[in-house]
Parts: sequence; structure tokens; C-alpha cells
Amino acid sequence: MKRIIVLFLIFMTASFHSPAQLKIVTTIPDLKSIAEFIGGNRVEAFSIATGYQNPHFVDPKPSYILKLSRADVFITVGLDLEIGWVPALLNSARNPKIQKGGEGYVDASVNIPLLQVPSSVNRGEGDIHIYGNPHYWLDPLNGKIIAKTITQTLSRLDPEHQTQFQERLKQFNETVDTKVKQWEGMLSRFKNTKVIAYHNEWPYFEQRFGLKIVDFLEPKPGIPPTPSQLSKIITIMKREQISIIINSMYFKAESADLVARNTGGKVVTLATSVGGVPEIQNYFDLFDHNVRLLLSALQQ
Amino acid sequence: MIVAYSTAQTDSTAATDSLLIRELEQQMQPAVPQDAAPIRTAPTTNPDLSAIGDFRSSYSDAGPRNLETYFNALEVQLSSVVDPYAEAKFLFSFGKDSLNGEYSAGLEVATLTSLSLPSSIQVMLGRFKTHFTKVNQLHPHAFSFVDFPILIRNYFGEEGLFMEGISASVLVPNPWDVYQEFVVEVGRSGSTPSLDYGTGNRLLTTAQLSTFFDLSENSTLGVGLSGLSGVNALDRTTIMAGCDLTYKWKPVQYNTYHSFTWQTEAMLCRTDTSAGSTLQSYGAYSLFEYQIEKRTFIGARFDYSGLPMVEKSDERSISLLLRFQPTEFQILALEFQHANRNFGPGYNQLVFRAIFGIGTHAAHAY
Repeated sequence: MKRIIVLFLIFMTASFHSPAQLKIVTTIPDLKSIAEFIGGNRVEAFSIATGYQNPHFVDPKPSYILKLSRADVFITVGLDLEIGWVPALLNSARNPKIQKGGEGYVDASVNIPLLQVPSSVNRGEGDIHIYGNPHYWLDPLNGKIIAKTITQTLSRLDPEHQTQFQERLKQFNETVDTKVKQWEGMLSRFKNTKVIAYHNEWPYFEQRFGLKIVDFLEPKPGIPPTPSQLSKIITIMKREQISIIINSMYFKAESADLVARNTGGKVVTLATSVGGVPEIQNYFDLFDHNVRLLLSALQQ
Repeated sequence: MIVAYSTAQTDSTAATDSLLIRELEQQMQPAVPQDAAPIRTAPTTNPDLSAIGDFRSSYSDAGPRNLETYFNALEVQLSSVVDPYAEAKFLFSFGKDSLNGEYSAGLEVATLTSLSLPSSIQVMLGRFKTHFTKVNQLHPHAFSFVDFPILIRNYFGEEGLFMEGISASVLVPNPWDVYQEFVVEVGRSGSTPSLDYGTGNRLLTTAQLSTFFDLSENSTLGVGLSGLSGVNALDRTTIMAGCDLTYKWKPVQYNTYHSFTWQTEAMLCRTDTSAGSTLQSYGAYSLFEYQIEKRTFIGARFDYSGLPMVEKSDERSISLLLRFQPTEFQILALEFQHANRNFGPGYNQLVFRAIFGIGTHAAHAY
């Protein structure tokens, strides 16, 4: 009996002295993966979008409001990537901590050197992002900047464990540096190889790994491929001997397949996020997967 | 020595005061901390501004004039957070009067909504669309069909039921951990076929309970119950009860290519007309919409509706919809409607509607 009482007291003391994990909600799984890496067992993270979903278009389901209402931290890609669904969720979340300007609101794009920042904006040009291209997490070195931003927020909200967060950030950065060398090495033979992409979401990946995206199947960002655009792409591919078309998980492959059939090219469906396919379990797997697929296609 | 002691005492008092002031300052810190992460947005405090146009052309086999082509309405919306505690929205509508053809401006929505009340409570005040039935909360441009279901028109008028008052909602904790929201609203409505502004102190009161289930990654089910009590044009009581059921399917991976929605609502209305005399009527509709490819949708709707103040009167219709959305900023829709009424002649009509928006318009609720 005495033992039971002692065990009960230990359990009670432990539960009183172990502060709750920080509840994190992210918009995309890549941010969740990085947050989990930095936060370790101090965080419990949930991503609203899945890895095989177009992050521009996510339905603001009420069940996400429930998650956000209990969140300590909300991490967003920002740059208006999620403008079609995040404001509706945040306004209904009734949680001041994660509103813009709140202590738990994290804009992961802060300090990222942005690409394709337009000098003027016109909706006639399609879905143009006024702050710059928002697909920055597809450069693994930007992952280090995202990780640092997340570390700062976690350290502020859970200062007792900031040393742990800093150590994990160091580990994350070291892994990224090692892996980037490895990935760059794998693709180095194919530097400046010209490719075609479905949507303009690869400029950061392109810059990091030295590819050259010549044109897109979409005539303008967000506008589905038209016969005239596909015809133009076929001409370009034949003229410039381009053999790779990069597609994403959430775009149907019909247009890319049609172009490939007419040019003898190959469609490579890359993952844009963690969880795009079951084997991509974390942020490093994402690049492992994409680099491997691309290498295999380029070697053929 | 006395001077030294005095100085030391002054220093000590000053230090104590300074500590006290610091403590008080800490206690008086605002609810929203100042030590927040930076945000990458445009350095402006201007509100989001959008304008949405609604153009229509129609053919109807009823009445002396069969062909119509007109600009139906322009909606201008301004919205922004006011401060860390609330956001505001103003929606102005410039609509065409179907009787004299003149355009007139009106204030459709003006609300202040809290963002940071405790216990997941949210309070909204101002003029807004009442939380009674699911479809009534939508603005016409956000509804998939060209016109609102007949029950909305017959009971609340072309634009639906608006209220000037206060709305309070709370997320209801429940053992199943599903989203459940309870909304209570109190205020005055405008003059509608079923409710009136009223001459006395009696206010319109509504309540709604909405529950939402994720059936799978690709499908959801929403269930709602709502009720209201208000004063009618005869200065007597009107009580209404409604229920709604919405099933949505959208494959997550190809969420921009295919989707399916089935939505059904029913409503019961009890109108006191004189001492001991009441009229009971009801309305219902059921609609489905299927997205056949990225930009094309088809749908059908079946409507039944009584009239709140006229006994044994009803109207039935079937509507067929074809909608094309080049982008999310432009919607072109063609709707055929066949209607029968037992209180007047039926009609067949074909309506083309073009909705087009510019500026930044906040996303609609799910």
C-alpha cells in the first residue's frame, strides 16, 4: 500500500513538474517536420495541409479551427501562399496567441532571401505573389533559416528548454550542410540542364541544384495548360533538346504526359512537401527522394 | 552623517519605488505580448478592399417582358483588424431596384468581431446576416446557384435575413472532440415577409448549433439546428425552426479538379396572426453540385416553400446549373429553373450570371 502511495505521489509530482508540450499547428508538413526536429519531445505538431495537397487551395474545414483554438504556436509559409484559407481559419480560432502579432504566430518566410519579387503586380499575369515566390522551403539551405526562426519562437515560449532547442538547431544545420553537399554532388554533372515544369514552384530548388527551368505547362501561374501553351512547350523542348518535365503530386499528369509523348521526354513527378509519398517522412527525406528521382531521370 | 543617511534612505526608497513601478508595469502588460515574432507583410494599415460585380441576362416565359439584361449589383467590401482584439468588416451594396430600374446604395454588413476573448467565445456586433439556416449566412456571390433557395426568398426576401444586434458564439467542448459551435443572436431584423422591425421592445432572437464531422480525409459532414423567435408584421410572434445537412467530398490530392456537395435544409414556421390563431408553413430544398473538371461544375436543386402569411400556399421548383470558373475571381453560371405555384402562374426561366471580383476579398467560411 505504501509503495502504491509513493508511486502515486511520484507520478503526481512528475506530472506537476513536467510542463505541457507546446501545441504547434503548421500550414504545410515541411514546417511541421522542421518544428518537430527542433522541438523534439517538447512539442506536439499538426499540419493542416498534407504533403500531396496543393497548398494554395486548402479547404478551411471547421475541424482545423478546433486545432488552432488550442494551439500555442502557428507556423505559416506566409507571402500570401495560404491567403485563400488561413485568414478564415485564424479569424474563427478565437486564440489571441496565434493571431498575427501574437506570441505564437510564426511567419517562416522572415529572413528568407526571396526570389522573383515582382516590381509590379497585375492579376492579368495569373497568380502572382506580391512578396516573391513563396515555395522557398524547397531550397534546403532555406530550411536552416526556417529552423532558426522556429527555434527563436520555441525558446521564447519555453525558455527552460532553450538550450535543448539550440542544440537541436545545431544538429539540424549540420545535417543540412552535410546532406546539401551530398545532393549537390549527385546532381553536379547535370548543372544547367534545361527542364520544363508544370507550375512555377521550383525556383529555389532550381537555384540550389543548378537546374534551368525554361518554361511552364501553365501559360500563367494558376491558369491550367492550354493547347497553344502545350504546343509552344513541345516546340521549345524539341528545339532545345529538353527531355525532363517536372510535375507535382497534385497536378494531374495528362498535360505533362501529352507533351512527353510528343517529344520523347520524361515526366518526373517530384514531391513538393513531406508526406508527398509515404517514404518521405521528414524534411531530409524530401530532398533525398527528389534528388534520387531527378538523377535517375537525367541519367536515362 | 545625517545627510548620508538621508541620501541612502532616499536611494533605498527610490529603488523600492522603481521596483514597485516595474512590478506594476509588468502586471499591466497587455494581453497580447509585445515580444512577438516579426511578420513579412506589406507595411500598410489600409484595409483589404474588394469589389464584386454581378451581371445578369435572363429569359422568362412569365409576364409581359421576357428578356432582361442588367447589372444586378455591386458589392464593395472593406475589412481589416482593428487592433489586437477585434476585426471589422463593412460591405456596401449597390443594387438595382427591380420595380423602377434605379440603382440604390445600401449598407449590407457592418461588424466588429472579437478575436481574443477567453474560453473560445467570439462576439460580433453590428449589422450582419443572421445565423438561421446555413444558406442564409451566405452572400449571393458565394452561393453556387444563381438565386437563393425559394424558402429564403419567401420568408426573408431576395437577400436573406439580416439583423442589427449582437451575436455571441462559443466552441462547445464535447467528448467526441468534434467541432461544435453554438451561436446566439439578439437584435432587430428589417422588414421581411415573415419578420418585421416591430413597434415594441421585442427583439429577434436566434440560436444555432452546428456540428462538423471529418468522415475521412476526403469527405465531411456538417449538421446544424437553428431556431428563432421574432415579431411579425402583425406585431405578433413568429417562431421558426430549421435543420441543415451538408455532405462534401473532395479528394485531397486533386482538390482543384473534382468535388461533390450535397446540401439539404428544412424549415418550419409558425406565425401568430391573431389571438389564438396561427399559420403553420414550411420550406425545404436539396441541392447537389459536382465538379466535373478543374473549372466546370454542374448542379441541380429541388425547392419547396410555403408562404409565411398565406395559408395553403406553396411553390415548387427544380433548377439545373452549369457553372464555369476561369479563375477564382470570375464565375460564369447558367441556370434553368422550372417553377409551379398554387397561388399564381408558374414559370420557366433561364438566367446567365457573371460574377467578377477585384481586390482582396476574405475567404468564405467552409
